[in-house]
Order: sequence, then structure tokens, then C-alpha cells
Amino acid sequence: MELKLYVDRISQPSRAILIFCKANGIEFEEVKIDLAKKQHHFPEFAEVNPMKQVPAIVHGDFKLFESHAILIYLASAFPGVAHHWYPADVQKRAKIHSVLDWHHSNLRRGSVGYIFNTAVALALGLPANPQAAAEGEELMSASLAKLDSFWLEGDAPFLLGNSKPSIADLALVCEIMQLEFADEEDRERILGPHKRILKWIKDTKNATAPYFDEIHSIMVPIREKLKELKVQASEK
Amino acid sequence: MELKLYVDRLSQPSRAVLIFCKANEIEFEEVSIKLGKLQHRSPEYAEINPMKQVPAIVHGDFKLSESHAILIYLASAFPGVADHWYPADVHKRAKIHSVLDWHHSNLRRGSLGYHFNTGIALAFGLPLDPKAAAEGEKLLSASLATIESLWLEGDGPFLLGNSQPSIADIALVCEIMQLEVADEKDRDRILAGHKRVLKWIEDTKNATAPYFDEFHSLMPFAKEKLKELKAQASKQ
Repeated sequence: MELKLYVDRISQPSRAILIFCKANGIEFEEVKIDLAKKQHHFPEFAEVNPMKQVPAIVHGDFKLFESHAILIYLASAFPGVAHHWYPADVQKRAKIHSVLDWHHSNLRRGSVGYIFNTAVALALGLPANPQAAAEGEELMSASLAKLDSFWLEGDAPFLLGNSKPSIADLALVCEIMQLEFADEEDRERILGPHKRILKWIKDTKNATAPYFDEIHSIMVPIREKLKELKVQASEK
Repeated sequence: MELKLYVDRLSQPSRAVLIFCKANEIEFEEVSIKLGKLQHRSPEYAEINPMKQVPAIVHGDFKLSESHAILIYLASAFPGVADHWYPADVHKRAKIHSVLDWHHSNLRRGSLGYHFNTGIALAFGLPLDPKAAAEGEKLLSASLATIESLWLEGDGPFLLGNSQPSIADIALVCEIMQLEVADEKDRDRILAGHKRVLKWIEDTKNATAPYFDEFHSLMPFAKEKLKELKAQASKQ
């Protein structure tokens, strides 16, 4: 049964799904939905995902959107996926759901607000909202602090005291990687103090090598492109 | 094994968890954490849930926060729960995850923004923000339209075309019920035209009777209290 991933590698949750599939040997066709070219607004894509967002998948004739739902589905539907990604144990699973739920209104919300209003908006010719950027940064910093003090436990390399990564590690680390679009000094200010988080990012990269770096290889070129577009937009 | 629910009946996700347990005859002890009295900020409660939010549960020595994770856990851990609440089928389950994920950034976010900035902020000694209220209402309305046209599509009366309710129905309907504390004219304006949504609310109430009404019985009282607070605030 054919699996198609409708993704844009600029999108954090898109990357999480791509890496997950590659790391688990799940075959798929990658269908690029170019957000900068507004392809997510095309009527054909609305047939795949009426919410007009990436990522979305089609597996046979089964359509699904929302990245956490997709990660859980892939972990459940493909028998080759190692147990640690989405354990069968009801309590371990519940903790993964808990951090994925927390993510929506915390790390993700903060990150999106910050990155959009500092790195992306002006590049796309859209107004940037400095207040929203500041609120985004505040929420993101509070979220990173919570990751440091609560979600990452003891000496365990992964979230929730786990010795091996789960879908939650991939989802949240891909979000933090979006900071690659920020200026180096901003990235250093926000992320620099969190040594434990930096180690966790490295551990997650290593656990999904070489795919993590492969899928994230576009980050620096995109950052440079965004900078270029920002300059062009301000010259107009 | 003892189950404790740390809840405030004024909180939408708290009500969802309470109604789910009652409707499924899951025994529990209800521990009231009064948000209006800032009890969620006490050091004792931080031991239960470091995120300082309700609902949270303790089952034996297992602690869990985030209402969707809690609903899934309860549906999975208690053998008496009927399959339709959280089906074992991987595809049906994925769709439920999808709508619960969508809920965070759409209906819940819009609803919270609207209610907080039209009244609830006053209960915490904070000013109302009309701009944030308007943004909240816009997102709330858009979310109701999406429920009307997309999530309620299909043969059955419940979300995702299901003929029986799932945890998603309880979670989302409890959110919409928060409109019972708003002024009638605002509630009517926001719900206007959404015939399917109104029927679905009734169907969900009936499927969980008499518990749904039992846990929503304090809404008129909350509405009066909020009116008082608004009246006081406008005199200052």
C-alpha cells in the first residue's frame, strides 16, 4: 500500500515525519507542497488536507493530517517500527501524549510566533509584529526551561526519562531546530544557556543519523535566502 | 488502585474528564483545585502537576497532566470502557488524534482567547484586552465553521461521522459549553447558523446523560459571578 507524504522541509512537523519514516525504513513518496509558493492553497491540495496545512499523508486511500496523529499512526501501522518510538505500555504512552499535547500551546506556539515575526514575515513581504515576536520568545524560553527542568529527567538522554527516543523527541527537537533561521546571536541567547537541551538535540540527531542532518541540510540555505529576501524587501 | 482527579468544574477540560469517568462508571475521588482562589499555584499542587494546570490525575502512583492524554489513558486503562470512546482500530484512532490535535490551536485557543479577554481575566485581577478578545472570537468562529463543515461530515451524529461518541466529542463540546458563561447575545451571535453543531451538542449531552448536565450545572452561577466582576470593573 502506497504512502505519500505531503511536506515542505521548511516546516518543523514535516521534517519530523520525514526523519521518522527514513529512520524506520518506511517507504514513501515525498510530495513537496511549497509553502513559499502558496501551494498549500491550491485546490488539489485541499483534496488531501482541507485544513491546507503540511504535513499530511495519504496511505492507500486513508488521509490524515496533524503531525502528532501522523507519527502515532505510522508507528502503529508499520510493524517494523521499533517499540521505543511509541511504546505499547499504557502509562509510557500516556506520558508521550502528555508532552506532545503540552507542545502545541507551549514550545510550538512560542517558536512559531518568534520565528515568524523575526525571520520569516519580512522575507515574505508580510508585516512583522515585534510584540508577537517578544511574546513568542518569552513563551519559547519558558518552554525550554520546562524541558530542562521537567520533561528531561536525570541522566536519561531522551524525554520522559527514556533511554531511547520516542516520537515526542523527534517532534520537539525538529521544532527547536527552527531556531536555525534566527540570527546566530539570537539563537545563542535563547538556546545557549540550556546545555541539557543541546545534548538532547545531539542525542536525537545521533539516534536518527544520517537522516536528521540530511533532512535539516536545507536550514542554512533557507536562512541565507530569508536574509536576502528581507534585505530586498526593505530596499523597496 | 485509587484514582484522583484534580479538577475545577469551571475548566472545560476538567469537565470532559469528569463526565467521561462518570459515563463509564470509573470510580474516582474528585479533588477540587479552585482556579479563582489560585489553588493551582500552590506548592502542594505543583507536586501533582508542575505545569500548575487542571485537570491532572493520580492513579496509584502514576501522575498525568493534559486532558487529551488523560482521556486516552482512562479509555485504555479501564477495561469497562466501550470501544467507541477510543477505538482500537488504528485508522479510527488516528482520526480522533487528528481532531484532538486540531482542537489545541483552533477551538481551544480561540475559546480561551475570547473568554479570558471578555471576562475571565477579571477573576485573576487582570484587565480585559478587547483586541485579543476579537482575535479569539474570530478563531472561535472559524473553528465552529470547520466543525460544522468538516469534522461533523458523515453519516453519524458525532465527530468524524461516527454513530457513537468518542473522547473527542466530549472534549470539544465541553469547550463550546464555556459559552454558557458569556452574555446570551454574544453566545447566540457566535453559535448562530451552526445547526449541525447545536444538534451535536444535544446528542453528546444525551449520550452522557445525566452527567453532562450535572457537571455543567454551575455554569449559570459562573455567568452571574462574571457579570458582577464586569460591573465592578466598569465602575472603576
